[in-house]
Amino acid sequence: MPAPQGAAKPGPTDPERTLRIQRDHDAIARLADELLPALIAKLASGGLGEIEVRQGGWKARLRKPATAPDPNKAATAEAAARARAVGHGRPDERDRRARDPKEAEQGKVVAMSPAVGIYNPRRDLAVGMRVRAGDKIGTVDVLGVQQDVVSPVDGIIGSSLAEAGEAVEYGQELVRIEPPEQAPMSEVPPNEAPAGEAPAGEAPAGEAPAGEAPAGVAPAGPDAVAVAGKA
Amino acid sequence: MFSKVLIANRGEIALRILRACRTLGIGAVVAYSEADREGLAAQLADEAICIGPADAKRSYLSAPAIISAAVVTGCDAIHPGYGFLSEDEGFAEVVRAHGLTFIGPSAEVLERFASKEATRRILSAHGLATIPGSGMLRDEAHALEEAARVGYPVLIKPSAGGGGKGMRLVRTPRELETTFKVSRSEAMAGFGDDSLYLEKFLEDNRHVEIQVAVDRFGNAIHMGERDCSVQRRHQKLIEETPSPALSDVARGELAEKALRAVTAAGYENLGTLEFLVDAKGEAYFIEINCRIQVEHPITELCTGIDMVALQIKIAAGEKLGLTQADVVSRGHAIEFRILAEDPAKDFRPQAGQVVEYLAPGGPGIRMDSHLYPGYEVPSYYDSLLGKLSVWAPDRPLAIARADAALRELLVDGIVTNIELHRAILANQVFVDGKVTTSLLDRVGSAPFVAAGNR
Repeated sequence: MPAPQGAAKPGPTDPERTLRIQRDHDAIARLADELLPALIAKLASGGLGEIEVRQGGWKARLRKPATAPDPNKAATAEAAARARAVGHGRPDERDRRARDPKEAEQGKVVAMSPAVGIYNPRRDLAVGMRVRAGDKIGTVDVLGVQQDVVSPVDGIIGSSLAEAGEAVEYGQELVRIEPPEQAPMSEVPPNEAPAGEAPAGEAPAGEAPAGEAPAGVAPAGPDAVAVAGKA
Repeated sequence: MFSKVLIANRGEIALRILRACRTLGIGAVVAYSEADREGLAAQLADEAICIGPADAKRSYLSAPAIISAAVVTGCDAIHPGYGFLSEDEGFAEVVRAHGLTFIGPSAEVLERFASKEATRRILSAHGLATIPGSGMLRDEAHALEEAARVGYPVLIKPSAGGGGKGMRLVRTPRELETTFKVSRSEAMAGFGDDSLYLEKFLEDNRHVEIQVAVDRFGNAIHMGERDCSVQRRHQKLIEETPSPALSDVARGELAEKALRAVTAAGYENLGTLEFLVDAKGEAYFIEINCRIQVEHPITELCTGIDMVALQIKIAAGEKLGLTQADVVSRGHAIEFRILAEDPAKDFRPQAGQVVEYLAPGGPGIRMDSHLYPGYEVPSYYDSLLGKLSVWAPDRPLAIARADAALRELLVDGIVTNIELHRAILANQVFVDGKVTTSLLDRVGSAPFVAAGNR
């Protein structure tokens, strides 16, 4: 005879469990109130890109957003937005184009073609539009079957790298996705903000993803993303 | 003639097809997977298009990806090369449905010859002797019954297989009992079809194949035979033409008989009829390959015919433009498959960077290879790095030139079987032209390698 399911589960009044939850809450509060401001200040003052601290079974990791053309960041972004073929020239030519340092240093992510076919962006796709990872931003018509082009990350639609109706290959770069961390446009010198792209105010502070340090904690420093979890 | 051909393959054969297209003055687009971005064919092509990731199922085996690539690049034909989708009648059908031409036999012809068992029945009806064997095996009891009828030893073969894949040698009823289920599930896993048949295993046989070409108008030629008896686990290693196993009269008769049968059976385009020749010189038809074959260069060296160009012309609906009298085979040619396999480590396939590469040269030397210094051999595909083919007026000179060429051939950074080839060349059995298909498996390659290292 099968055992009744769920019989072994601890009841809601399990005293040990309540105590554990209380301890966790206290630890998170301590991290947020004491440790994080100190870490944010430290991260803001130095050249560090990322900090991780362990304390009492918890760890907190803070990472600088990728706004500044930090060479390390650019390298990572280059790997992510990697050298995909564009158009139908010879592959080596295309690679040269894609490895163009000017393009790589901008540290942008791109949405790529999932297949060989004819690319069509979503009708309402516009520069500056906010997208989530997995959001459909267009389709590639493969012999009449539509395959979705999706954004690989949360971000803001940047410039298009392929025209509507253009033949594209597998892995071809189609649309730039700019990181949402770039949202506070006041940080980007005007000459670095491409005209017409992601105008200031497009991403108000209220839209900052959860987990981003509130601006009041470290007003002079860069935004920092805190990741807290049990070590 | 076509205006532009999509090359849906990789490695040396993609390069070979590209060369044929250029010779014919037609455009070519190389379709490549992400793993072959740096492949020589993609590098040399005027146009190349990435069709999918390294996984062949989503690139070289993906009909939508390949056909879509052909459509968007404005190709009017697709050359499938060998392997992958080259003999897939479903693919040929879809290609045609999109208004494109499949370079190979039509879907109907491919379908007629898709099952080896049915093919043997058809060609046997047209006068070719076949190895005593069974029809499709219903179950184990049926298999035991059939094996007893044709006599042990027998080979259990998947109907949908090719290139020796999935075949098993069985010497006793007891072995058959244990093997049957395994073969069935392997066939299902490997080919998506668990149909099996069995045939009598001929000990000490030679593998001889006849090359034919038939156009849409019924004009047909054969281009002689190739002897592919130097094999390892049913994979060809060295091929030569003419076959040392056949007399001039026997080779002529076999080729004519094969051509008559295959033409009568309604075959079209390039094709190869494979035979096993036993110790008495009897030739048994085993299967037909409806594509360009890896070992085609030796036939080209002896006949002077560009077979890939001929294949493209036939697919384009042109006439052969050759009669049998125009086909003259001169001299002797031998091909060596240069593989990224380590003979000292059970022929494990190798991947990695080719640090140095130097192709041999000299009279009668031909190298078909996609290697170049710095090329990264991907681990996703077969281990063929290239083919060294050698022509000379006679067999002893061909062997001498081959040895000189193998000494020159430099592939550094990755382990290959070059030394094994030299060792086989030096072996008296090969020199005497007496190699049978099971020799290498029976004696193992170690003695050859050891002898070669002396």
